[in-house]
Amino acid sequence: MAEAFQVAKKQDLPPPGGYKPIPFKRIPAKSYFSGYTMFAGFIGMTIGSIYLYNITYKRILKDEIEMRSAKMAIYPALLAERDREYLKQLRRNRDAEAELMRDVPGWEVGTYYGERVYKLIPPDQWVEPIFQEYYAHSDIKEWNKRANIKLLS
Amino acid sequence: MVVTADVYLPEDSELTVQEVNLSGSTLYAGSFHLGKYCETINNEYMLCRQEENDPRKCINEGKAVTACTLEFFRKVKKTCLAEFNQYSNCLDKSSGDYAFRHCRKTQGVFDQCMLEKLNLPRPGFGYFCEARVHDTKRPKPLPEPKAVYPDATPALPEDAEKKPPRLGSRFYWMTE
Repeated sequence: MAEAFQVAKKQDLPPPGGYKPIPFKRIPAKSYFSGYTMFAGFIGMTIGSIYLYNITYKRILKDEIEMRSAKMAIYPALLAERDREYLKQLRRNRDAEAELMRDVPGWEVGTYYGERVYKLIPPDQWVEPIFQEYYAHSDIKEWNKRANIKLLS
Repeated sequence: MVVTADVYLPEDSELTVQEVNLSGSTLYAGSFHLGKYCETINNEYMLCRQEENDPRKCINEGKAVTACTLEFFRKVKKTCLAEFNQYSNCLDKSSGDYAFRHCRKTQGVFDQCMLEKLNLPRPGFGYFCEARVHDTKRPKPLPEPKAVYPDATPALPEDAEKKPPRLGSRFYWMTE
């Protein structure tokens, strides 16, 4: 009896004609240039940019020379004004030091109790004071402002 | 401070003159003609400043420089003010560093005016970068005299006998 109730079994089989082939083949991206073209392009671009660079380089050199010319032309006028103001300021500094150390016995301006900084030079020789001495009597704000420019550059 | 009471500093009254109260763009705009106009005076001052290396000794030259600069700008103000203002305005507003290459047109107008009215041509390219020869009447500062030390080792007399070296040269590695 068991045979009479058997359901017809269907075996899982490939479709008629077989499976499609598996697409394992590599599909490369579309190449716009060949290797030789790329080399040629690189060389061409380099040459072109060197050409442009040279043109701009010469222009910049010329501009720099012109700018330097202008600066040198006005430099004497600026330096003359600076010198006068500098000498005035030195006198102010010296007076300020004399006023500050008035009560200290034995103190001489510009020296350490009469001992000069530079002993072998003539007394009237010009020595530029360093930044810290020049700004010693100034406001701390002015000091910082100048120090940021002078000591860090 | 290293400036002692013995160091001579000029009085304020000696140092106070009318200064050139002009802005950067104005100075740059007039720079080439100014340099040409005051060339001798500027050279004199810069030579003094470099030779002496002492601002106290070049105060009068410096005053002459300032006076010449003022005179130049007064002349420009009298003759080519509009062109000058146009040019300096262009320099001021075209770039951050007063570059000249943006303002060739206004510069041409200004140069033309200076040439016509003040007979002052614009000096050639790089004129102020060239080395300058200046003839001056100011005597050259004497070089520092050679130091004489009383306890120095006496040198050989002029006519001392100088024998050839007994053991050959002492040059570098050749000996030893």
